[in-house]
Amino acid sequence: MKKTRPIVAVVDDDPRLLESLEELLESAGYAASCFPSAGHLLVRGLADLDVLITDIGMPGTDGFELREIVKKARPELPVFLVTGRHEIADQGRAQGISGFFRKPFDAPTLLAAIAETLQKSKNGG
Amino acid sequence: MTRVWSYRPQLLHLGLFFAAYILGCGFAQALAIVPGTGISIWPPSGLFIATLILAPKQSWRWWVLVGCLGELFGNILWFHSPLPAAVLIYVGNALGAMVGAWLVNRALGRPVRLETLREVLVFVVLGAGAAPVVSATVGSATLAWFGILSQTFLGAWPLWWIGDATGVLIVAPLALVVIQNWNSKAELSAARWIEACAVGLILLGVAALSLGGYLPFSYIIMPPLLWAAVRFEFKGAAVTLALLALVTAIFTISGASQFAGNAENQRHSQIMLQLFLAISAFSALVVAAISRQHQLALLTLRQSVEALRDRERELSQIVNMVPVHIRRLTPEGEPTFFNKRLVDFFGLDLQQLNRPGTSQLVANIETLVHPDDAPSLLQAVRHAVATGEPYSMKYRMRRADGVYRWVDGRAEPLRDEGGKILQWYAISIDIDDEVRAHEALRDRERELSQLVDALPVHVWSWTPAGELAYVNKRSLADLGLSKANLEDAVRVAQKLVHPDDAPEVLRASANSLKTGDVFMMRYRRRWKDGNYRWIEARAQPLRDQDGAIVHWYQVSIDIEDEMQAQEALRNREREFSQLVDMVPSLLWRLSPTGEPTFFNKRMMDFFGVDPREANKLDTSGRVAIIESAIHPDDSAEMAKALNRSLATGKRFSMRYRLRRADGVYRWVDGSAEPLRDESGRIVQWYGLSHDIDDQLRAEETLRESERQLRRLVDALPTLIWAAAADGEPIYLNRRLAEYVGLTLVDLDSPDASRLQMAIQNSVHPDDTASVGQALAHSFTTGETFTMKYRHRRADGTYRWIIGRAEPLRDTDGTIQQWYGVSFDIDDDVRTQEELRRTQERLAVASQAASLAELSASIAHEVNQPLAAIVANSHACHRWLSVEPPNVERATTVAERIIRDANAAADIVSRIRALFRQSPETRNSTTLASVITEAGGLMAEEGARRRVRMDISVENNLPPVTLDSVQIQQVLINLIRNGMDAMDLIAGEKVLEVQARRVGSEVQTEIIDCGRGIGSPDRIFEPFFTTKQHGMGMGLAICRSIVEAHGGRLWAEENEPRGARFIFTLPIATKAAP
Repeated sequence: MKKTRPIVAVVDDDPRLLESLEELLESAGYAASCFPSAGHLLVRGLADLDVLITDIGMPGTDGFELREIVKKARPELPVFLVTGRHEIADQGRAQGISGFFRKPFDAPTLLAAIAETLQKSKNGG
Repeated sequence: MTRVWSYRPQLLHLGLFFAAYILGCGFAQALAIVPGTGISIWPPSGLFIATLILAPKQSWRWWVLVGCLGELFGNILWFHSPLPAAVLIYVGNALGAMVGAWLVNRALGRPVRLETLREVLVFVVLGAGAAPVVSATVGSATLAWFGILSQTFLGAWPLWWIGDATGVLIVAPLALVVIQNWNSKAELSAARWIEACAVGLILLGVAALSLGGYLPFSYIIMPPLLWAAVRFEFKGAAVTLALLALVTAIFTISGASQFAGNAENQRHSQIMLQLFLAISAFSALVVAAISRQHQLALLTLRQSVEALRDRERELSQIVNMVPVHIRRLTPEGEPTFFNKRLVDFFGLDLQQLNRPGTSQLVANIETLVHPDDAPSLLQAVRHAVATGEPYSMKYRMRRADGVYRWVDGRAEPLRDEGGKILQWYAISIDIDDEVRAHEALRDRERELSQLVDALPVHVWSWTPAGELAYVNKRSLADLGLSKANLEDAVRVAQKLVHPDDAPEVLRASANSLKTGDVFMMRYRRRWKDGNYRWIEARAQPLRDQDGAIVHWYQVSIDIEDEMQAQEALRNREREFSQLVDMVPSLLWRLSPTGEPTFFNKRMMDFFGVDPREANKLDTSGRVAIIESAIHPDDSAEMAKALNRSLATGKRFSMRYRLRRADGVYRWVDGSAEPLRDESGRIVQWYGLSHDIDDQLRAEETLRESERQLRRLVDALPTLIWAAAADGEPIYLNRRLAEYVGLTLVDLDSPDASRLQMAIQNSVHPDDTASVGQALAHSFTTGETFTMKYRHRRADGTYRWIIGRAEPLRDTDGTIQQWYGVSFDIDDDVRTQEELRRTQERLAVASQAASLAELSASIAHEVNQPLAAIVANSHACHRWLSVEPPNVERATTVAERIIRDANAAADIVSRIRALFRQSPETRNSTTLASVITEAGGLMAEEGARRRVRMDISVENNLPPVTLDSVQIQQVLINLIRNGMDAMDLIAGEKVLEVQARRVGSEVQTEIIDCGRGIGSPDRIFEPFFTTKQHGMGMGLAICRSIVEAHGGRLWAEENEPRGARFIFTLPIATKAAP
């Protein structure tokens, strides 16, 4: 049972948001693994991750760069970008990317998108 | 010896004397009738004494010597005395003769003529009386001493004495006559000769009778003897005596004489003979002398009468001939005689003048004397007659022709021995000419004196000794002298002559006085004011006929001015000379034929000629100079031009190259003009060669520079023009001409000035008025013209240009020209316009962007806690929704939700705090400056949007405490809002900004006339906007800023339209921090 719980990694420099996402993901049956920066995540390793949720605006490696790094290591790993800055969401490079959420995001939608992604990858896998 | 020889008489005379002496000896021997008693008559004594009387004393020794020889010869022939005795006897004879001759000469002087009784008596006493004493004494002593003929001294002496005396008496007169008349001609007339012959015959006859013994008395001879003496005087006496002596001798010798006799009688007879002869001779001589004297007296008397007669005739002639009027008056003054001259003068004689009944004197004077002079003359004559004093007077007498003539009348009395006046003699001399001459002379002298005094010269005269004799008045006045202090020439000279000149003047004047040479000198003389003035003094001697200097006349002319003029002239000449040498040009002079006669120093320096060798240059001549000094390319033309000028006398002018001493040819501008004399003949050519080499080069450079500048001006992409001081265009550069398609010629119009034409033809119609006005203003005031306006280009399009013009002033500040440039700024203007629009858009965009950024930041800050809250809320919901609800976790999550919500509220508070300005940035300032600044910032935008801004700020607004940046933002915001509100309205767009004090606040209003405010209450709410792009934050921020300053901001409707935004700010209190 425990093994079946998908692991969702969350990277955000705001600890309050990390706490709230961890609570939300746990309440939805996911195993939440929270990191205050991209560096911490990359040190932990990406191997057993099922979903990655990352903030865009962060000191050091930002969300876009992290996504590029992750895509090389695990191209199939779904990545959700979350940002509190709507103008970033309006930018061209954010366009067409699935899994893009503006803060404050709609929690059910996020959970549904995670679930859908996990289902898709399970089916595909 | 030579003296003795030189007085030697002629040998003939000596010979004759010698012969006569021997003859006399023989004669004496013949008459020695008494044997043993020696000589009876001694003729040699007479011969001897007569000869010595007539001979000069110096020759006496010759006569004495010859006489000695003769006597010694006679002694040998006849006397036979011993030689010593003979010599002694001769010595006695000679001594006697010399003594006699000496005495006679001394008493009678020379020549002895024996023509008066006194002379005859002296001769008899001294010659015949005294002289024989000597010879008789010596001779008798000798006879006695030698005992010759047994004579005693006393016995011999009388005979000797009387013999000698007789000899002298008889022979000496004869000898004198013979010797003295030796050469004279016989003056006797025939009657006298007959008489002489008769007397001679009578004498011979009587002598023959008486001595022959026929008559008892020998003295009968006396009458014929005396006759001869009376009639024929001395000569007759001498001759007859000689004859008598001869006759006596003949008869005595023959013995027929009475004196011949027997022995006892002989002595007596001899004495008698001697006495006879002596008395006869004496008598004859005396009578002859008396006769002679008488004859002489008669002659003298006759001559005297004759002379008197001549004299009287002469005097009479003189009286009539002398040019003097002579008259004689009686002692009473009545005229008794007029001389011929006077009668001729009057044309009247005394008788004609006689008027019966009146005094002749009065009648004469009244008739003949000038009426003016008559009374005084009459009075003078009467006075003279009364007192006997002579008178002298000048008066006028009437001549026969009626003319009155001046005469000088004088009269003197002739007195007898007792002093009684016998006659008056009066004369009058015609002095009319003299008087007139005198008058003329006086006039002339006065004139001359005036002339001398009036002459502007100093006239002095000096005595030959060098003493000052006369000084004219001019000298006295000029020199401040009085005549008293001109005594000594040396002192005068020392006093008046400049000390430097004095020695030379003294030397020259002394030399002139000594030699009589003309004195001529220039020196300085001291005037009375103490100044020295130059004079030229000349002194010449006036000489009399003998050439002796009578006076020196000196004229001194004041030549101070001349000297000064000369000095000035010399100075000027020196200056000119210096000038000629100093002028930085080459000056030269040619003779009329063109030969160089002078080069100035510069020219010689130019040619490198030593001035001391200038003569050499002169001789080299024109041709040589042209060949050597003129550039070969110019020399021919130069020679031609110069020759042409020399030939025609016309000015020479040419540019040519002249070779300098260092061989460099330099361009000179040569010109020459002739100097002509009064007749127009050319005297000299004066030439000047001006070195224009540098000038030419400079000109060339200048021309080149000008060409370049012109090219530059034409090439510059700028429109350039120049105008005269009054603004009339005088130059358009090529660009401008091409730009407007006009040239200066096109601007010439009879109806308008060039300026007006230029403005009308090249400026946009909307701008002509303002451009014309601005240009007129500049041209009038001299202020710089600068303006933007539209120019019409040649192709008809209008383009914006900026025109500038500035005056060029001379040193006095007077405007010479105007220079203008016009830059085509049309592209700039349009670009700027474009730029401004872009900027505005950018500003709007950036304003929007910054709001967006701001809102994004705010959103981000708020979104973070919101996102956490949202996520936690869902988690909480899930924890509670599951079965069983996980309350524990839900509780935890809910707590987090509360925490995050509080955090979001904090964020909002922080944002608010962010907008609240801190009071530290505020300071107390005047609102006016802020408003002005904001207005300035918005001016351009207003102009672009055609909005007129009227800003009026009340004077002396009190200061307010504010953050000028924020308040400025408020003002700009409100102004821009106002402008935006008027964007779409038609008509005039006016935005007013007013500030004034209201109570304790300053109230500022921004008033537009736009559409107005639809909802005045809502507009201040955030995010309320009426604009398309607005975000609705502006007015909200403005209100918050104003309220942060303690003021209020609100809006009102404006009448009749538009809106009025009003904000207030509290007046700063002084105590405020």
